[in-house]
Amino acid sequence: MADLNQTQREPAPEEPRLDGQPGDRELVERAQQGDGAAFAMLVERHQRQLYRLALRMTGSEADAQEVLQEAFLNAYQKLPLFRGEAQFSSWLYRIAANSALMRLRRKRRAPDTLAEQPLELAGPRFSAEGYLEPASSSDWSQRADEKMMSGELGAAINRAVADLPDDYRTVFLLKDVDGLSNEEIANALDLTVPAVKSRLHRARLALREKLGEFFDGAK
Amino acid sequence: MTTPIHHCKECVDLLGEYIEGTLSPERAKALEDHLSTCPPCITFVRTYRATRKLCRHALATEMPKELMTSLTSFLGKHVPGFPCTKSETAAPSLATTADSGSKKV
Repeated sequence: MADLNQTQREPAPEEPRLDGQPGDRELVERAQQGDGAAFAMLVERHQRQLYRLALRMTGSEADAQEVLQEAFLNAYQKLPLFRGEAQFSSWLYRIAANSALMRLRRKRRAPDTLAEQPLELAGPRFSAEGYLEPASSSDWSQRADEKMMSGELGAAINRAVADLPDDYRTVFLLKDVDGLSNEEIANALDLTVPAVKSRLHRARLALREKLGEFFDGAK
Repeated sequence: MTTPIHHCKECVDLLGEYIEGTLSPERAKALEDHLSTCPPCITFVRTYRATRKLCRHALATEMPKELMTSLTSFLGKHVPGFPCTKSETAAPSLATTADSGSKKV
């Protein structure tokens, strides 16, 4: 479970916004003084990424909706205690991720963290000398664009992603589909950045194998 | 002096960081040197990149507008001063389930 405690540190640096809107820090300070409109701007700014995080973690739109409601309400209630040592968005991710994990645990006795699940992933095959086996080097990339809109391919991708262990799937979707940074994902899922990179790479390798099988079967 | 990459396995292990541009220049150069002499690894890089592209295309998700509306409505009921300009779509109350503890954050 991610810890929301912050120790006494210097406030996290904040990049100026290109759109001229007030930064998160200013909005947080206004919201802490009771400005509901400032909190609404924070919600508007972060709700999409929080939705993707919640959806990827729970796998259910209905659960994602409840996670979002709970997370933003929880964030509002804890706002007086937020001191800006972390980025507001990182703090919010942690709250939403904790909410999603608690929901998963209630529903299916999920493990305490996403990292505790067993690993069974496919990957490329190498010779004893470390060279790629021929079966791992079929070039289907040229056919990828023409198959992009294929319903069969979409179904194959959905099956392959569903077959990934939860923690690998979540990291992959947050990074390669939703565009979160490794640091954001690590913070939300209570993983180290190297652990995020490792899961991401293993997930991509497993998906690449499955897509290779799909294209080989579609020749 | 950059340590050369002789085997495909090492190339594959470095691929994630390479395509994200986070590999050190020395290792990236060693990887590119390996790629220049290893057609199977060139194919591997192509299909690795294509995997990301296909998955992103097939799985991209936008937050539904109805959900934004219901979130606005929900927070309008529970957060003082929260502007609730969207229609009052019914949203399940979580006021009793949300953690209202005073944990220091």
